[in-house]
Amino acid sequence: MSTNSIMTIENLQAKIGDKEILKGLNLQLEAGKVHAIMGPNGAGKSTLSKTLVGHYDVTVTGGDIFYKGKSIKEMEAEERALEGIFLSFQHPVEIPGVNNAYFLRSALNAKRKHEGKEELNAAEFLRLMRGHLEMLGMKSDMISRSLNEGFSGGEKKRNEILQMLILEPEVIILDEIDSGLDIDALRAVSEGINKMKDGKRSFLVITHYSRILDYIKPDYIHVLKDGRIIKTAGPELVAQLEEHGYDTIEEE
Amino acid sequence: MKLSTLKNIQFEEMATLLHVKGREQLLEKFCSLGLPDKKSEAYRYFDVEKLFESDYTVTPALPGAIGIGKKVVIIDGVVSTAPKGLRIYYKECESADMEHFDPMYFLGHLLSPVIIKIEVDGDAELEIEHHFTKSNSLVPYRIVLHNQANRHATIYESFIADDIENTLVLYGYDMHVAQDSTLRVVKMHSMPDSRYAMIASHKVNVAKQANALIKSFDLGGGQALQLMKIELDTYAHVDAAHLLYLNKDSKRGTVSQMIHKGEHSTSKQEAKNILDGKARGIFDALIKVEHSAKYSKAEQNSKAILLHKEAYMAAKPQLEIYIDELEASHGATTGQLSEKQLFYLQSRGISYTEARKILVIAFANTLIETVKDTRQQEQIKAAFEEVFYTTHQRG
Repeated sequence: MSTNSIMTIENLQAKIGDKEILKGLNLQLEAGKVHAIMGPNGAGKSTLSKTLVGHYDVTVTGGDIFYKGKSIKEMEAEERALEGIFLSFQHPVEIPGVNNAYFLRSALNAKRKHEGKEELNAAEFLRLMRGHLEMLGMKSDMISRSLNEGFSGGEKKRNEILQMLILEPEVIILDEIDSGLDIDALRAVSEGINKMKDGKRSFLVITHYSRILDYIKPDYIHVLKDGRIIKTAGPELVAQLEEHGYDTIEEE
Repeated sequence: MKLSTLKNIQFEEMATLLHVKGREQLLEKFCSLGLPDKKSEAYRYFDVEKLFESDYTVTPALPGAIGIGKKVVIIDGVVSTAPKGLRIYYKECESADMEHFDPMYFLGHLLSPVIIKIEVDGDAELEIEHHFTKSNSLVPYRIVLHNQANRHATIYESFIADDIENTLVLYGYDMHVAQDSTLRVVKMHSMPDSRYAMIASHKVNVAKQANALIKSFDLGGGQALQLMKIELDTYAHVDAAHLLYLNKDSKRGTVSQMIHKGEHSTSKQEAKNILDGKARGIFDALIKVEHSAKYSKAEQNSKAILLHKEAYMAAKPQLEIYIDELEASHGATTGQLSEKQLFYLQSRGISYTEARKILVIAFANTLIETVKDTRQQEQIKAAFEEVFYTTHQRG
């Protein structure tokens, strides 16, 4: 394990239902770096993100995940979140009747409580929100609406980034954050992500397309194919993938 | 007195027992419907027979002086206080609905020789608090409520019980919603345990172009059934919403008949039911559109969430329609909390218990937030949380 690794995934095997999807995946996320995972459809990209956050769909059948040197394989989803692992969902779920602000404050206060800090009251919380909303180009009424209910694709993604900004996680997994975003939304979302870069946090950007990587500059590109990382290289790999596709990539 | 004894005695003997002199018609009607048992459709899921086997002391509501207070307080069926200027008094019942479907409506009338009459003047808000203090008692009382034409009145109703046991409350309203008026009734009935059982049998007449907004929030444990017959005149509108959140081995719910009599009358009835533990929820609701009610619209829906494998929802939406010129729909669903939604909340660090609470409240919120008064709304939410935390560890 690299001394600068914040998360190490070792020989990870996982299935959804009876289907084996991750087949011995190895990956190290370095603190302060942006890792991009690219790969063809069905390679296991979304399953990897679900596995890292303890999704109920996924059964880990082998290997391990270490976060700050500690195995998180048996941890519940909320524990992983409280420890600083965050997934921006590809398809954020709508929850009618749950006020967005109430949800965000509940999440933030759960984290603050976990860290031994005082919980924020409604006024303090709203003050904290204001700047973030402005930066993400979100209307203030979005936080008084039901969580993701009736939000456009772009609004949902902005709301995911808003949660990320508020919760200040240490490992940030962005599952196809660029899907369904127009240029303005992509720029706003990228700005939010870039704001979180502080040399300590790690990002795992899962994407099909290189477009998002023009805004969030990756340090490493990993190619995921058939449940395993088959190649890791620098950002120059993106151009090669764009030109030749995944078929030409040989396993290292 | 055991109510079950009414099953096996003759009319004359019953007339003597219930002191019904001059009200024989009511008794005839009661006898023709018969004391409910487990075969009675309206009481099928309620275990009414057990309640009728208890030996109660009958506590007749003896009218006394009414003091001045902020709200109407009714203690064991007797008005203790009322706001200054409110027209509230006792009198003999002038008219009961002789076509009511519920035998307990008639028994309630028979056991209440005088009724409490409330006439709400003008645009008013009124709180009515029912208080029960006696164990092993049968507490029968009835209220007749009138509002004024062209006015908007709101009634907030709540219930408090001392540390009592084995009491059966048999009460109900005859409500008359005047022409062109609006009457809002918000009932908050939180029963922490089985201190008493309740059968509430109501009749609501909604006059021409009047609006009746009837919201009931039944929370907690115990046994309680509300039975209501609502009749709509021309262009009358009824918006009825019932929230049920039960735990332990509670059995509670609503049995209703929404009867469209006038043309262009509209009704919307929505039930949301959350059932925990071994609780049983009841929603047995009929919409009847009569020949005279052309161009009516009726909508009815029941949704239930079961939080425990032993919880049970008895939902029975029904339509009885005699004309073609109308719009009507009904439906019922029963399910569990969404795993996807639960996970989403947990993935943000919210504990499983809190995530469940948030989703349960979210399910209920669409009804709770229709209560305009924020203080009342907060009270309902607080009672709701209290019920949640009796069965779930605080996160």
